[in-house]
Amino acid sequence: MDVWVQIFASGLTLGAMYAVSAIGLALVYGSLNMLNMSHGALMALGGYICFYAMTQLGLPALVGVAAAMVICGAVGLAIYLAAAQPMLRSVNFETQIFIATIGIGAILENVILRTFGPQPQPQSLNLTGAQIIGNVHIPNQNILILVVAIGLMVGLSLLLQRSRLGRAIRATAQNREAAQLMGVRVGVVYAQVLALSGGLAAISGIMVSSLSGLLPNMGGDPMLKAFIICVVAGLGNVYGTVGTAIVLGLLEAGAQYVLGVRYSFALLLLLVIVVLIWRPYGLFGRRQVVRL
Amino acid sequence: MTALLSLSGISCGYGANTVLRGISLDVPEGSLTAIIGPNGHGKTTLLRTISGLVPLTQGSMQFAGRAIQGRRPDEIVAAGIVHVPQGDLLFPEMTVLDNLQMGAYLPEAAKEMKTRLEEVFALLPKLKERGGQIASTLSGGERRMVGIGRGLMAGGKLLMLDEPSLGLAPIVIDQIYEVVWRLTESGRTILLVEENAARVADKAAQVALLDNGSFAWTGAGSELMVRPKILETYLGT
Amino acid sequence: MTTLSGIKRDLLIGSVLTTLAIALPFLTGTRYVVTQTTLFFIWAIVVTQWNLVLGIGGIFSLAQMALFAVGAYATAMLGYYFHMPMVPAMLLAALATVLVSVLIGLACLRLRGPYVALLTLAVAQVLFLLITNDTDCFSNPESGCMPLFGGVRGFTRFGDLGFRAILKSKFYIGHYYVGLFLLVLATAFAIAIIRGPAGLAFQALRDNPGYAVSRGISKFKYQLWLFGLSAFFTGLAGAFYAVNFAAVGPIVFSISVLLFLLSMIVVGGIGTVWGPLLGAALLMLVDEAMREAGDWRDIGLGLILAGFVVLLPRGLAGLRLPSFRDRSFRR
Repeated sequence: MDVWVQIFASGLTLGAMYAVSAIGLALVYGSLNMLNMSHGALMALGGYICFYAMTQLGLPALVGVAAAMVICGAVGLAIYLAAAQPMLRSVNFETQIFIATIGIGAILENVILRTFGPQPQPQSLNLTGAQIIGNVHIPNQNILILVVAIGLMVGLSLLLQRSRLGRAIRATAQNREAAQLMGVRVGVVYAQVLALSGGLAAISGIMVSSLSGLLPNMGGDPMLKAFIICVVAGLGNVYGTVGTAIVLGLLEAGAQYVLGVRYSFALLLLLVIVVLIWRPYGLFGRRQVVRL
Repeated sequence: MTALLSLSGISCGYGANTVLRGISLDVPEGSLTAIIGPNGHGKTTLLRTISGLVPLTQGSMQFAGRAIQGRRPDEIVAAGIVHVPQGDLLFPEMTVLDNLQMGAYLPEAAKEMKTRLEEVFALLPKLKERGGQIASTLSGGERRMVGIGRGLMAGGKLLMLDEPSLGLAPIVIDQIYEVVWRLTESGRTILLVEENAARVADKAAQVALLDNGSFAWTGAGSELMVRPKILETYLGT
Repeated sequence: MTTLSGIKRDLLIGSVLTTLAIALPFLTGTRYVVTQTTLFFIWAIVVTQWNLVLGIGGIFSLAQMALFAVGAYATAMLGYYFHMPMVPAMLLAALATVLVSVLIGLACLRLRGPYVALLTLAVAQVLFLLITNDTDCFSNPESGCMPLFGGVRGFTRFGDLGFRAILKSKFYIGHYYVGLFLLVLATAFAIAIIRGPAGLAFQALRDNPGYAVSRGISKFKYQLWLFGLSAFFTGLAGAFYAVNFAAVGPIVFSISVLLFLLSMIVVGGIGTVWGPLLGAALLMLVDEAMREAGDWRDIGLGLILAGFVVLLPRGLAGLRLPSFRDRSFRR
């Protein structure tokens, strides 16, 4: 019984981390139809900036996090201006931006590699100690991650539902042309979404690295998993994404316990493929009427 | 009457295709101008060009004394041109109320949000009933009403309606046009695209026939009524 | 402009290039040039097949390197565990690759573009993890613990094409001609697809999917066929890679290699006939130049990739589009 509570706790933490990352990806895809393959590198960048701020500059944790968010947000904005905006009107935008961001991700990863070296580093933002309830051992860091993730999701939900920017983002995602006719500057919305996504990537990167350490390529697998979550939920659907992230986190924790780390990703993938065969547009995705 | 909107020598299109050629039109203030003509000849493209969604290759546009060619779509809305697009283009996952509120997105309109909502509900009471319903679940006629209501929320000096009768049953079309005539009578400047010339001819102060990308005939609506030959020649009716 | 003149031109270009390639080892005595060109042949095969999948089939697959790896690993394992001679092993490995690709295709091809990309990437990553995370010793030879799929170290000493026995120290020349032969086959196949009725069918699917379907062209079936057939040559390239270098390891799964090959296609021109070869040749030369640069290599590749996609999406072959425009094929 205790084992399952333990698995539940880890799974929830994993799910929460993935959710933060996946939301950023879902927002970007929902608004721009863009699969941002540099997201993983942005996660790594966020983790390293926080580490650098805290370890080399001796700044407090909050400043480190804020710096990471701001810098990654700025990089996200730069990616929009340099790569996405010039190609927005192109017929093959989806494909082209996909490839372009693969290239940009490689650039970022290697800049990190050159700056910080290939050796793994522990993340400085790390709470020690744990809550012990009976036989169950829940690290404080996990609790922190969960709290932060929930806070972020609530904040994002408020942003999307109540704020002017949020309405502009939703309108643009649901019908770009109609949004323009309402007076929304879609170009500005895109830029804001990409900056927001960068900030979310930074936090997600800090969280992931606090559990598994810093490496220049640490963002690759989490990004892939976040994308898979988005795909299973139905690309662009933000709320379904959160639910799917948590379920996937729990499944991964369970699979790791039963089969070992090695096979957990494989099992996850198998499940995902089965789900997609059953529902090709994702669990919550809607079949879009294609006008030929 | 002064021309609120003035188009001069407009040419535009999509990529290598030129859709409109040498389009010139004056839309007088406070009256209804109708653009008629067969489908696929550029009526929707014309409205989209005015809204800034399609770039001009030639010509100029003046609105309320200011040049608007080359401006961004949001600037054109801010200037006071409201476009209710063909096929509604509602925000499918938002409620009726949300859709209407999006209509008043710009700050000037947002200030008047409450009053405008009341006006829209007075004109289109069904929208008040269905306020919380998700847009994608509405019927065709209801969607059309939301589209028009959303346009009205923006205020604006010129209202452009693209085929309000498209895809609707005759009874519903009558209901929709009921609303359009009330707007006309209240003195709004309206630019209306309609495939069925007979429906609009007697109410329109000015009618322009768009054929193959240019205006084959312009004149008063009343004139068209007594010269059915024109309709026959171009529309075969 | 008719299909025939397109094919005639391709045959001409192909003959000239093949003749030059045949002559190369005699024109330059350097071992390094010959072996690097052999590597170029290998990458060129993969890239021409990937180009078919991406540019003609419209399948956004990132599993190409994984399929290459299947071919390489299958060959090595057949040699290592069953002591099979290399020629039949290579063929079997290519067939195994086709099987794997069909499985992947069945799972992924009904999905929309971006989904295919992500899923194929995930499949490649899972295969990589399965191989590298395996620490159980399947067998225990003198060299140490050997997991079933070779683990992190990979396989060596699994077989040979026999050129060392015949040509002694010039064995690499034998490999060179085998590589050239495979590349000619692969390119001929690619041209046949692009210029042939299949190419037209795919173009119809791209230009007007509704009409194509109404004429009986099933997108899924066509894509699956293309995916599987191109996997044959990709697997064969992998098999030859293993045999040529007498070693295979998880490095073939690396993002670095994926990036390298993707750049070749983008620079050359996705969907064109000669673009992939052009891109492959260019990028191998650029790689030579950046050999000293170390870490900058991947940054350079990333810049090339992103830069070309944003600034020159049609690639270099696509630049001359007016003269390349013939009715049988259009990007």
